[in-house]
Amino acid sequence: MSEATSQSQPPAKDLIGSYFLDLWCHTSKTLAVKPETKYASEFEEEEEESPTELDTVNSSGGFSVVGPDKLSLLYPSVNLHGHDVGVAQANRAAPMKRLLYYFEIHVKNAGSKGQIAIGFTTSAFRLRRQPGWEANSYGYHGDDGMLYRGHGKGDTFGPTYTTGDTVGGGINYATQEFFFTKNGVVVGSVYKDVKGPVIPTVAVHSQNEEVTVNFGKDPFVFDLKAYEAEQRAKQQIKIDNITIPQDASYGIVRSYLQHYGYEETLKLFDIAGQSTVPPISLVPEYGFSEEDSMYALNQRRTLRQLIKSGKIDETFSTLRKWYPQTVEDDTSTICFLLHCQKFIELVRDGKLEEAIMYGRSEFEKFKKLSGFDDLVKDCAALLAYEQPSKSSVGYLLQESQRELVADAVNAMVLSTNPKLKDASLCMHSCLERLIRQVTACFLEKRSLNGDQGEAFQLSRILKSGKKG
Amino acid sequence: MSLFFIVIRQLAEFQAMASSKKVITREEWEKRLSNVKVRKEDMNKLVMNFLVTEGYVEAAEKFRLESGTEPDIDLATITDRMAVKKAVQSGNVEDAIEKVNDLNPEILDTNPQLFFHLQQQRLIELIRNGKVEEALEFAQEELAPRGEENQGFLEELERTVALLAFEDVTNCPVGDLLDISQRLKTASEVNAAILTSQSHEKDPKLPSLLKMLIWAQNQLDEKATYPRINDLSTAALEDPAV
Repeated sequence: MSEATSQSQPPAKDLIGSYFLDLWCHTSKTLAVKPETKYASEFEEEEEESPTELDTVNSSGGFSVVGPDKLSLLYPSVNLHGHDVGVAQANRAAPMKRLLYYFEIHVKNAGSKGQIAIGFTTSAFRLRRQPGWEANSYGYHGDDGMLYRGHGKGDTFGPTYTTGDTVGGGINYATQEFFFTKNGVVVGSVYKDVKGPVIPTVAVHSQNEEVTVNFGKDPFVFDLKAYEAEQRAKQQIKIDNITIPQDASYGIVRSYLQHYGYEETLKLFDIAGQSTVPPISLVPEYGFSEEDSMYALNQRRTLRQLIKSGKIDETFSTLRKWYPQTVEDDTSTICFLLHCQKFIELVRDGKLEEAIMYGRSEFEKFKKLSGFDDLVKDCAALLAYEQPSKSSVGYLLQESQRELVADAVNAMVLSTNPKLKDASLCMHSCLERLIRQVTACFLEKRSLNGDQGEAFQLSRILKSGKKG
Repeated sequence: MSLFFIVIRQLAEFQAMASSKKVITREEWEKRLSNVKVRKEDMNKLVMNFLVTEGYVEAAEKFRLESGTEPDIDLATITDRMAVKKAVQSGNVEDAIEKVNDLNPEILDTNPQLFFHLQQQRLIELIRNGKVEEALEFAQEELAPRGEENQGFLEELERTVALLAFEDVTNCPVGDLLDISQRLKTASEVNAAILTSQSHEKDPKLPSLLKMLIWAQNQLDEKATYPRINDLSTAALEDPAV
């Protein structure tokens, strides 16, 4: 590497330090806000709001009446022409960052002509026309069973529906289609040629027509979960057909164990791998020769075990003995992480007075670190509770915090390897880089798709296939 | 410049934008990557799931100690399952069948295809060891009745018995049956059936994740140019062609 390149990159220590500090800040923000979230939702995006009831502010003046619970629609008078349809839209647009959206109507009374419609419209829709009769709107009409999508003339689509029927309308963001159901059975689907958010819409048009709407408060007649599983399965088949190199997974697991220093596991894994039929052959990892990834394996294992058992003092002394350069700067991030962890361990052991004294003597010098205020506040907050593990800062007492510190120390030790070419290789295992890439690809794909559809969620993959 | 030319130029720009893909630079992409936070706990679970599903018992036990990750199935059941798998891989099919029944007699009862394949493997091993008479007897008594029930089985049976017709078995049209890959196929089938009977997914999740990566990249390729990962074992980013 040329002199110029190595000068322009900040030293590995700083990169590593700030990376883990940033990770802790992120955890603090997401977990401290919602302490009861199980790990699954932790890194997921904020929940989008869903429609819950009919909108009474915008509903067409006077032709139809929205019930007091805002979940029913009635057409009281006699209609005169095609511009006095009683239309009601939901109170918000359908959420987009998911695979499917769905809602149902139940026809309480088909009235004199059964001119009911269910569909989707945009905020620009003229609320005196049936959904589907205007551009950028779609409607499945009960009187003729046709699908209207922007013109006065509809397409043959499905059966008619009347009093007693439950009809559903849904959006499939993966296929970019609207789909409709009748009494629990899919009627059909049509390409969604509308960009941007769409609003679930209901309409009534003849005397005494009355429908009730269900946005999910009550169970649907249609088995949406089963349908969702079906759709995922279809996509999964395409993915399953992709071929990957035979021992790719084996290699990734192996490099994971090496990277994080799980020495004993690695030994047994290698032994088992040799007796596999057929035997596994591996290509050494780029940028990291076999030697490099095995660098300080035993030491890293030892340090991890010390931190996981809460023995921070010993961790400090061991680091000073083996890798003094990592802890010689007493104001470095790695020292901050370790001192905080020591504080946390003292609280865990109930030694509150000792913890306070420790905090007072050690924390001050890290004032300049970014995120310092919030993180020290979190640590100090532990003192305020009788049962700190149940508080909003309870996350500090969990294994995951010890794990964070252990991973930081692991990365620091890896960075002391004189043969190291790229600091970022210390921080992320191959597996992590792969997961980041797939997540980023899904997000970009979704963003190019008008922000519609699902993101990649590792927790969903981990949970899938679990029975009982 | 007249309005006409301005419009033409604008149209040409629109044309270029429509046909070209969005370009994402390395810097921009790395920023997005750094915004993705992956939980260590989740990665540990993925690894544990791999160890457990593929049957690396001792490694799984050790990983549990070293990482504090709990396996999602009882490790004791893995040892039994691996014993069955090894037995089939070594050609000891009778032993494997006995072990499967010890583990759970319902597995073979509810899996006629699996049972047939195991019996077929037994036949192959008899033929491999030159026990011609025993092989024929076995084929007639155990396999023929199954063949009568099922056309697919019958065809497989005929293929297997055909081995006896050739002098040079390794070069005959059905020679692949004697290959070790046939044993591995059957072993895999048994492994999957046992896992399913234990209400566990028969495939580890990690390969699925790798496939999703490839799929997602292929999909994104249609609309954008960005740094790709082309080598799964290194996860190295390769810059988009400029």
